[in-house]
Amino acid sequence: MRSARLLAIVGRNLKRSRTHFLLASIGIIVGIATFFFFLSLGLGVRNVVLGKIFPLDKLEVIPKSLDVALGPVMLPTGSDIIDDAMVAKIKEIPGVETVYPKMKLTVPAVATGGKSLMGADIRAELPADGIDPDLVVGELKPGFEFKDWDDPANAATPVACQKDKECADDMYCGPPPMTREAADDDGKGTKLPKNEEKVCRHYIPILVSNHILELYNGTLRRAHNFPKLNPDSVLGFKFDVEIGDSFMGGTKDERIFERAMMVGFSDKAIALGVTMPIGYTRRLNVAFGAEDDAQRYHSVIVKVPIKDDVARVAHGVEQLDLLVEDSGAEQAALLIAVFMMVFGAVSAVIVGIAAVNIMHVFFMLVYERQRDIGIMRAVGASRGDIGKIILGEAAALGLLAGIAGVGLALAAGSGFDSISANYVPDFPYKPTTYFEYPWWLFASALAYSVGFCVLGAFLPARRAARMEPARVLSGQ
Amino acid sequence: MIRVRGMRKSYRTGRVVNEVLHGVDLDIADGDMVSIVGPSGSGKSTLLHALGGLDRDYEGTIEVDGRDLHKLSDADLSDYRNRHVGFIFQAFNLLENMSCRDNVALPATFARGQDAPAKDKAYARAAELLTRVGLQDKILASPNTLSGGQKQRVAIARALFSRPKMMLCDEPTGNLDTKTGAAVVDLFRQLNAEDGITILIVTHDPRISALTHRTVRVEDGQLHENGETAALTKGDDADEDDAAEEADDDDDAQEASE
Repeated sequence: MRSARLLAIVGRNLKRSRTHFLLASIGIIVGIATFFFFLSLGLGVRNVVLGKIFPLDKLEVIPKSLDVALGPVMLPTGSDIIDDAMVAKIKEIPGVETVYPKMKLTVPAVATGGKSLMGADIRAELPADGIDPDLVVGELKPGFEFKDWDDPANAATPVACQKDKECADDMYCGPPPMTREAADDDGKGTKLPKNEEKVCRHYIPILVSNHILELYNGTLRRAHNFPKLNPDSVLGFKFDVEIGDSFMGGTKDERIFERAMMVGFSDKAIALGVTMPIGYTRRLNVAFGAEDDAQRYHSVIVKVPIKDDVARVAHGVEQLDLLVEDSGAEQAALLIAVFMMVFGAVSAVIVGIAAVNIMHVFFMLVYERQRDIGIMRAVGASRGDIGKIILGEAAALGLLAGIAGVGLALAAGSGFDSISANYVPDFPYKPTTYFEYPWWLFASALAYSVGFCVLGAFLPARRAARMEPARVLSGQ
Repeated sequence: MIRVRGMRKSYRTGRVVNEVLHGVDLDIADGDMVSIVGPSGSGKSTLLHALGGLDRDYEGTIEVDGRDLHKLSDADLSDYRNRHVGFIFQAFNLLENMSCRDNVALPATFARGQDAPAKDKAYARAAELLTRVGLQDKILASPNTLSGGQKQRVAIARALFSRPKMMLCDEPTGNLDTKTGAAVVDLFRQLNAEDGITILIVTHDPRISALTHRTVRVEDGQLHENGETAALTKGDDADEDDAAEEADDDDDAQEASE
């Protein structure tokens, strides 16, 4: 039997028994809607959690250190360091695409500024680290650069100045790089230039993690009644940095006064604090006597583009006596996977029950249509033709019910997003949509629906195909 | 040429087995017009269904043009019904959710092979047949809107769709009034005479059986020709005579169709 003719008969039969099929398909629609809704929700949430909060394609590797507790005494034992030689070894692990060394600023620092953004200047302790500028190439918006302007090897000849306006745009007039200045008596860090020769300087380019903006908008701004910030408004924001000062002790007698500018957001930036080109942190660490810290990295970010390679790379890292820092990604991924599996199973139960209902409906229809089946057999339909007609009807029913189920899920998802946008207060990482709809999810939902309907109709189709036409047509 | 040998058929109801045909033999030549008569439940329809390949649950052999129907696969038997046999039933057996044209063209839906007609050709053939049976104005009508005689004519048109060599009619006038029934039988005679179609008619009506070339009576599980218990076939030891007679029959049929 040709497909077009099969479709014509299937179409006629669907139309003829539409009430039966409508009732039978309700369970399938609900089941497919459940399947599609929760799977797309799981994928969307996983996208936010593993894409933004715990990026799964990057491992943070830290030196192994061990603190041994001896009664009241904690005895720090030796630690393996991460230096350039170790970075080279990590790069050689199969599956590693890139390694991003990170160096902490081991000198305390304080940032001051924010009036232009928040209406008042604030002073805050400033944790900082440095990364290789090459690692964020292509991530920044036009007009912003993440570059080590003060690198002695590449720095331009200094231009003397007295005021900011004598310098080019995005530069300021300040003391030469690494100028150490004595702290004032009250320790508040008032700038006391010891060197009168000011030069035009580039601001230290600063990257900030998306976490900080999310935390600020989701929590901090409410507590302090600050305005909501969007990423674009923060770019270009300038503030003062006083290296060597701290609220928490450890202040230095001499400090270095710098100015910094926000140039972008990156998931490679430190989670709480600011990130600058690694040359700045290295020079500042050296300037304050932490020579060893200038030769070592506190961690490296290892990029593993293929998720399946993550376990192998983690094992390779451990072979080098280093640790993979637990970011929580695995637990989060597991939790989401369990969530998706549970609701996948729930939808399977619903669709399975619906398939049983489909089976009953088809048994009834086969009984009702046995004379028609006999007629078709009499004019030349084979058993296979009859089976194909019944299964074709089931497949068409499954397809239509699947489309309806997907439509229902999309509508529910849209409603969910709308309610979230309009009625749920902002929170960190609040997404514009909680759902992700890859093409394969549509295909899976439809295949799932068609598959269960065909499965449900299998026994009725077999019974129909095995009907003896003579018996049916003679009314026996 | 239809050749039935030792055909037995029984029905089981629970543990009770009722044999309705006790090893019957029958030969029907091409182009013949045969009526099968007998009391209700005697096995007339059973014989007809077996000849048409609708029922293969019997013992013995039924050969049509040398092919043993019992040995055909389901697909081949379906193809046999599709191409070589046209069925006419007492209850018309039209599909109510299709138009007359779709009912007549239904065999095209299940036709196999390269020569299976395309939809437009199938519809043209259906229209031609409906015109031939006088229903040219009912081509797109639903069977629900037709009278009994009109429905039976649609069924005849459907039976003729594949240009079959044989039409098997199971009490075709049973649901028709006398005048309409006579018109239907006239149509059968015309098809037999003009198209050389072998026609077997199961009937209770002696007026119809009187119009056929032969009458076979089914009674007590046996076949009787023209009221006599007769050897309706010759013995297997007379195959050469059979062949000669078959050739004669073929010639007769040819003449009749001309």
